[in-house]
Amino acid sequence: MSRSTSGTRRVTLVLVALLLSALLVFPTQSQGLLRHIGVPLAPIVTLPIEALAALDRSLRDVWEGYIALHGVHEENLRLRREVELLRDQNSRLREATSASQRLTALLEFKGRAASKTIAAQVIGRDATNWYRAVMVNKGEGDGVRVEMGVITPAGVVGRVVKTSASASMVLLVTDPNNAITGLIQRTRDEGIVEGTARGLARMKYIPLLSTVRAGDRVITSGLTGGFPRGLPIGVITSIDKTEGDLFQSGEIVPDTDLTRLEEVLIITAPRGEAESDADALSAQPPQQRKP
Amino acid sequence: MKQALYLLLVFGLVPIQTTVLTYAGLGGVRPDLCLVAAILVGFFAGELDGLLLGLVLGFVQDLFSAGELGLNLVAKGSAGFLAGMAGRYVTNTTPITVLTTVFGLSLLSGTVFLLTVGAGGLAGVSFAIWSVLLPQALWDATLGGAGYWLVARHFRREQAILEGPTGWDR
Repeated sequence: MSRSTSGTRRVTLVLVALLLSALLVFPTQSQGLLRHIGVPLAPIVTLPIEALAALDRSLRDVWEGYIALHGVHEENLRLRREVELLRDQNSRLREATSASQRLTALLEFKGRAASKTIAAQVIGRDATNWYRAVMVNKGEGDGVRVEMGVITPAGVVGRVVKTSASASMVLLVTDPNNAITGLIQRTRDEGIVEGTARGLARMKYIPLLSTVRAGDRVITSGLTGGFPRGLPIGVITSIDKTEGDLFQSGEIVPDTDLTRLEEVLIITAPRGEAESDADALSAQPPQQRKP
Repeated sequence: MKQALYLLLVFGLVPIQTTVLTYAGLGGVRPDLCLVAAILVGFFAGELDGLLLGLVLGFVQDLFSAGELGLNLVAKGSAGFLAGMAGRYVTNTTPITVLTTVFGLSLLSGTVFLLTVGAGGLAGVSFAIWSVLLPQALWDATLGGAGYWLVARHFRREQAILEGPTGWDR
């Protein structure tokens, strides 16, 4: 009996060693195999994740609705002043929007407004500490595919890197493994926006002759990836220009508060022509937009 | 009983890791429950159980992480196997032994990630060592030591009940 247990143990160890060797020797094929194995498993694990996320939301609502009301009066006064300021700003922006709409129609730049999106809820964070990523409750069953762009009304969030039937992983714009093509709004210089280890973003490959400066806004260029042109990414806070380098780079603070993500929009067709959840969301006040 | 516990770990740990545990983070760093579980199972049930549970836990973790599939699978499987080997050769296992082993294995696993994931240049690597690798190893070690102490205490109590009132005197 003991000999048979020892035999089973040895066979299992050899099989596992073979499996691990196969993973190392055939990385691409093994990725496909692992993806197939994960197809039935992922939805089962997603169920408790969604249940815990729902519980978390209800507890947070209770906390925010009752317990965390301390200091609300001061905040109320501050917000009233802010509303006055924003009303004035709003009126001026309406004028600008109307002018912009006329010009857009004139130049037939309809691409951006016609992006097709679906709304998704953030239900979790990455299962390790090594990636800045969030999990959303929409997957392949809802039409989500890898490389699709993810946004909020405030700006770019990241892109989809992994999907299952009912959930997807979104790599945030602040992760060093993420790269999005960006455009400096004032100078029209293009570059690549990558995440940094410190949780910010950096625009690389800005031409040396560019007059970019701190405070410049960076938007998506729309050249590659799942983003249409013109979505806000962030604001440049500092420029790094070293003598002898072929390019300069700038550190960016993202427009979206990526630590407090709750709902996002997944761009399923950057230049599609369909009504979307984005219209409904854009009608709401952009709560996540920084003042 | 053992199989039920393993199933619970496989389907319960990753949901906790991705949702509730985000509040337990210090500076945004959370303990790696799957790594700690694989190591503890390796210590208590041997290298084969540690290896197999580590592989499955790592695979589930891979499904809910932005990285390539297979990285956690290999890291957690190896950690469970090495912990089982350590448990076999260490004659007097104490919470401190486990704490040290978990710390070492967490550092090892983290280093593999650091080399594979890419942290954004040399400055990024140095930052990641101080802000992710070391805090996570400390978290894991604390949790592993505490987990071992709890499980060992439970086993001692069960043994005392089985052996009767004179069990400890023999």
